[in-house]
Amino acid sequence: MSGDASHETMRITLKVWRQSNAEADGRIETYHVSDVSPHMSFLEMLDVVNERLLGQGKDPIAFDHDCREGICGACSLMIDGRAHGPEAETTACQLHMRHYNDGDTIHVEPWRANAFPVVRDLVVDRSAFDRIIAAGGFVSTPAGSACDANSLPIAKENAELAMDAAACIGCGACVAACPNAAAMLFTSAKVAHLSLLPQGQPERDARVIAMVDAMDDEGFGNCTNHFECMAACPKGISVENIARMNREYLRASLVSRSVE
Amino acid sequence: MLRWIGNALNSSVGKKIVMGLTGLLLVGFLVEHLHGNLKLYEGDGTGFNEYVEFLQGFGPLLVLAELGLVALFLCHIFLALRLTLENRQARKHRYAVRNNRGKESFGSVSMFATGALILGYLIKHLIDYRFADGFFDDPKGAVANTLSQPGNAVIYMIAAVVLGVHLSHGFRSAFQSIGASHPKLDAILDKAGIAVAVFFAVGFGSFPVYYLFFWSPSS
Repeated sequence: MSGDASHETMRITLKVWRQSNAEADGRIETYHVSDVSPHMSFLEMLDVVNERLLGQGKDPIAFDHDCREGICGACSLMIDGRAHGPEAETTACQLHMRHYNDGDTIHVEPWRANAFPVVRDLVVDRSAFDRIIAAGGFVSTPAGSACDANSLPIAKENAELAMDAAACIGCGACVAACPNAAAMLFTSAKVAHLSLLPQGQPERDARVIAMVDAMDDEGFGNCTNHFECMAACPKGISVENIARMNREYLRASLVSRSVE
Repeated sequence: MLRWIGNALNSSVGKKIVMGLTGLLLVGFLVEHLHGNLKLYEGDGTGFNEYVEFLQGFGPLLVLAELGLVALFLCHIFLALRLTLENRQARKHRYAVRNNRGKESFGSVSMFATGALILGYLIKHLIDYRFADGFFDDPKGAVANTLSQPGNAVIYMIAAVVLGVHLSHGFRSAFQSIGASHPKLDAILDKAGIAVAVFFAVGFGSFPVYYLFFWSPSS
């Protein structure tokens, strides 16, 4: 290794939420970490802390992670009171320690929402999102093999909007950042994505009603348009999708032939 | 048969649509209210007396309109209570540290507080005029009598500012809630929300300022 930067290390004080299981009372514990390389990702820094804890015969800090490439939606850390930390449109796994300074204190907490109960430490149960998807976030049409190009025309603008909505990785940062713990941005991204595409049309009305019902059943809060979700979203999902879902819901309520 | 209506109105989306619609209708009421009040500046308030007489001329229709207004307010207030309680419940365990990303505003986080203050003011306002003895004999005199008292004038000024803060989030937010969002529209609404807030705060705030500082009984 050459160059001074690669040898620079930082000392970081971590204040981390520790909770041994879903029922246990949690508390914030303090860890002093030296030898933090600015090149580490936030999760790699936690790996280093965990290596040390294991060496001391202590329980490592449990946190969700998978791809570490910013595309899977597994990581879910509230870092200094912001979902995924201080950087815009960046998941916690893509947040690097070079954004911090030597001597910084960093608070790390799990997502907080009744609908996302803490399983252990920083790991929360996000299966509420799975149940919202299971209520209608799919198309039942057999897709078959890829059809010929241009046999199913989609307006460029709609394709773009659907693609933007489909960028949602389901991490739950929107819920975590929302002052009301609402899941509107997540649900609306899924509703908008399918309502904009021809494949989504057959189930368009039933989908939005079923998904909103499922969302409400999970105990998320109500959206009051603070728009913190959009600012916290690592994929930059727009609140325009929420307005679209509101329209879709109103339309479906009025035109759907179901009286239930 | 009507279960779908109940389901729709009880859903999180239905609630916000009703909240937005009732809010916008109440803004419509504010427009007419301010229009009527501005007649206080017309011919030393005689225009205002004529306006009150004109409204009274509607008789039972006016009562019907008042009842409609009461229904709008009750609906808006009931939903505000429900949304606030439900949203508090949705996150029982709060963050030890929380920072926003600059999207939430003073207006958006204080909606319930500003709404409650406006309700308190509304009750005083109705007692001052609508239900005051002799108001309909000389409306402009009653207004002058109330607003030339410093204590009342200050309360009315504060109420105008609080209304502006409420509208700074509410007006813009209502359009999003009813699904009216589009890049073209949003750019206008972002500015219009603030303009509407300032317009009503200055408009309604002007009356206590006028009667406290610029009006004299002899004039």
